[in-house]
Amino acid sequence: MSSQAMKGFEQLEGLPEAIFKRLYQQPATSLAIFRRMLPNLAKTFVMAMLFNPDPIPISTLEGWVHPDKNSLKEEAFAKLRQLHLVTERQGTFALDATFKTELTKALTGGGSPGSFGLPCDTDDKNKVDISFLDKYATEQWESILHFMVGNEVPSSRRPSEGVVRLLLHGKLMEQTRASSEAVITQLGFSFLLQEANAQVWTLLLLYLDMAEQLRMDPVDILHFLFLLGSLELGQDYDMKSLTPTQKGMLEDLRDYGIVYQRKSSSRRFYPTRLATALTSEIRATSSPSRSIQNAISHGDENGFLIVETNYRMYAYTNSPLQIAVLNLFARLISRFPNLVTARITRESIRQAIGKGITAEQIIDYMTVNAHPQLRKNTPVLPPTVVDQIRLWQIEGERMKATPGYLFKEFSTNSEFNAVCRYANDLGVLVWADQNKGNLFVSKHEQIADFIRKRAQPNR
Amino acid sequence: MDNVDGTEHYNFKSNPDLPTLQVIIIDTNPVAWELLKQSSGLGFPDALSQILIFANAHLAFSLSNRAAVIANHLDGAHFLSPAPPGSDLTDPDEANLTPEQQKIVSQQKASQYRVFRILEDEVRASYRRLIKSTTVEDLEKNPNGSALSGALGLALTYINRVCFGGTGGRSGGAEEKVKINSAGGKVDDTGRMMHAKILIVSVTPDPAPQYISVMNGVFAAQRLKVPIDVCKLRESTVFLQQAADATGGVYMEPEHPKGLLQYLMMGFLPDQLARESIILPTKVDVDFRAACFCHKKVLDIGFVCSICLSIFCQPPEGAVCSTCGTKLDVSSLENIGKPVVAPPKKKKKKKVTDSLSESGVASAAQSPAPEG
Repeated sequence: MSSQAMKGFEQLEGLPEAIFKRLYQQPATSLAIFRRMLPNLAKTFVMAMLFNPDPIPISTLEGWVHPDKNSLKEEAFAKLRQLHLVTERQGTFALDATFKTELTKALTGGGSPGSFGLPCDTDDKNKVDISFLDKYATEQWESILHFMVGNEVPSSRRPSEGVVRLLLHGKLMEQTRASSEAVITQLGFSFLLQEANAQVWTLLLLYLDMAEQLRMDPVDILHFLFLLGSLELGQDYDMKSLTPTQKGMLEDLRDYGIVYQRKSSSRRFYPTRLATALTSEIRATSSPSRSIQNAISHGDENGFLIVETNYRMYAYTNSPLQIAVLNLFARLISRFPNLVTARITRESIRQAIGKGITAEQIIDYMTVNAHPQLRKNTPVLPPTVVDQIRLWQIEGERMKATPGYLFKEFSTNSEFNAVCRYANDLGVLVWADQNKGNLFVSKHEQIADFIRKRAQPNR
Repeated sequence: MDNVDGTEHYNFKSNPDLPTLQVIIIDTNPVAWELLKQSSGLGFPDALSQILIFANAHLAFSLSNRAAVIANHLDGAHFLSPAPPGSDLTDPDEANLTPEQQKIVSQQKASQYRVFRILEDEVRASYRRLIKSTTVEDLEKNPNGSALSGALGLALTYINRVCFGGTGGRSGGAEEKVKINSAGGKVDDTGRMMHAKILIVSVTPDPAPQYISVMNGVFAAQRLKVPIDVCKLRESTVFLQQAADATGGVYMEPEHPKGLLQYLMMGFLPDQLARESIILPTKVDVDFRAACFCHKKVLDIGFVCSICLSIFCQPPEGAVCSTCGTKLDVSSLENIGKPVVAPPKKKKKKKVTDSLSESGVASAAQSPAPEG
């Protein structure tokens, strides 16, 4: 569980085929999955097949790709198969029929009304604007973060029971025997270091996980989450088109600051920036995720952190949340009313890494929160500090464990070589020994398929 | 076991996968589209819908991708989307609808993703306004009208603003770098914030008088590394073939214009990243010949103005270059095709000084047959 909770979006890839088939029944979901879960080349393949009535021979697609980009091609094929987007028949690829119609609907706008949210047809007497929504989302989300590090929060802004249950469920916090109060765990700390968009997804996936135990339909929940990602900020939407499960979810999402409702009996809801950025991809320009980062930048909008080349850190803050986060990877030296001084040391970084925090997370956190004075430099952080933090992480990685599968006892040498080459093309080959005829791969499904296919014509 | 040095941790992404700006230039000349409809059955409304689906597909790739649509109209180039600031965004037809019809329209809109809807509404509304402002006289005056160079110019200036922050591809000063960093956007080493590509959907013949300005646009695009893709539905063209070839874009003349969408999806959709790994369909034998400026004939051999390098199929009338207005000396042209008689040395010297600012002949390579 512990490692799974942090996997984020990739966790969805492991869902069973039946669930995927049902997910593809909504245009918004099909579009979000297309955008968020496929590599670039796979997107290109999907688009090439989308408006083609006939299945495409695999050889055509293969001939389309440069021979020296084989590994990219195999990665794209593997992803398409894994998400059950294509059906293979007699050497041809055809897009999953449901996915095909729904994605076409999304592109051409031919879906049923409300497939991308039903805007309210009457004006809201208590209309709210975008800055209000941003403020609301920030307050709600921050109160969760503050609660996690055990800050005193006014009782009106204390997270609801549902949020606490979720945090306990995800082992981001735990109840100790000594007191009934929940305390943050190591997992919770590395959660705090994540980027805002990743935090939101982590929490929502935990919600999904918990909802399954409560017998809520995961497909319904995912449909709604993907739908939220395609809504328009500042527009009010009607609850009419939602399923009962989704109406129930609204209440929880309101607690997280993802949607805004004036009161729970209201039939309209507003998505906040946390919602509309849900299906933006983190890897592309950070503008959408950056805007949430700004919306919920921990505390004030300006950065507060100064890092010097001598590994000293000055943090202009008095927020216990920020100090607690700093304490994760730096040794605090002294504290003044508005300033904390700290030092990055080998021990402090090793300790953080021991807790499952990565060097990249630490560097990202420091970059995001850098003081305006520090931002005048390019690069923002002193390179020596950044390099050293990475080196300290590498120190502990002399031995690398890779979970995987061993294939052995191939009948012929040529078969071994063929499988070896295929695994290499897929990028799953970890180690191979020509003499012993052993080969070790990180994923086995496709290799097994490949061996089976090779065996068939011989029969 | 043997990779303990951990060098892979230092594989900084030198080329971040930037989002892409797609600029689409559409010919909106009604006469040309009508002719295409008669010959192949593809009318403008169909084509526009298919192009919009193509734009949507581009936007679906990534949330940060952007698209712009420019109309290449009879009288000039116009932005269809993004609409210029201050322009009237309401659909001229929508005001005449009854309340019931309006309700249906708003419900239809609710079934569409907002990014797609904004683009489509803008394009359709601006296009209707454009057509309403076009009169029959405009059409009769200029049935082959095209503002290709203007459209290309608009596209390139827009790309410069969006992708390079107006720096024209030169990396910005130190001050600018800080600005970009603090904004959090990714940039590559030339200060580029987005990739860009241009797609020209063309139905009109080459606008010969614009040859120079089009070619200047093409070279500017080449310098900015912006590929120009060309989808030529009617009237084979020389300029655009060269444009696609010079900038590394795709040139296609669909055999079945009715299936435009599939051509667009297969050939023109892949972005910069995908193009690195995909073998794109393109014309192998590019026609490098230039068109003459006087009769728009494609030439193998012609006459070139020594000042502006304009090309003519025969010496211009009155020996005045029609492009730059320079008076040309055509007296030496009489000798073309005649046997070369080595002129006395004195005379040759004089000739060189004479013709410094005057016309030359492009076909010097054509050696006349020696006479027995």
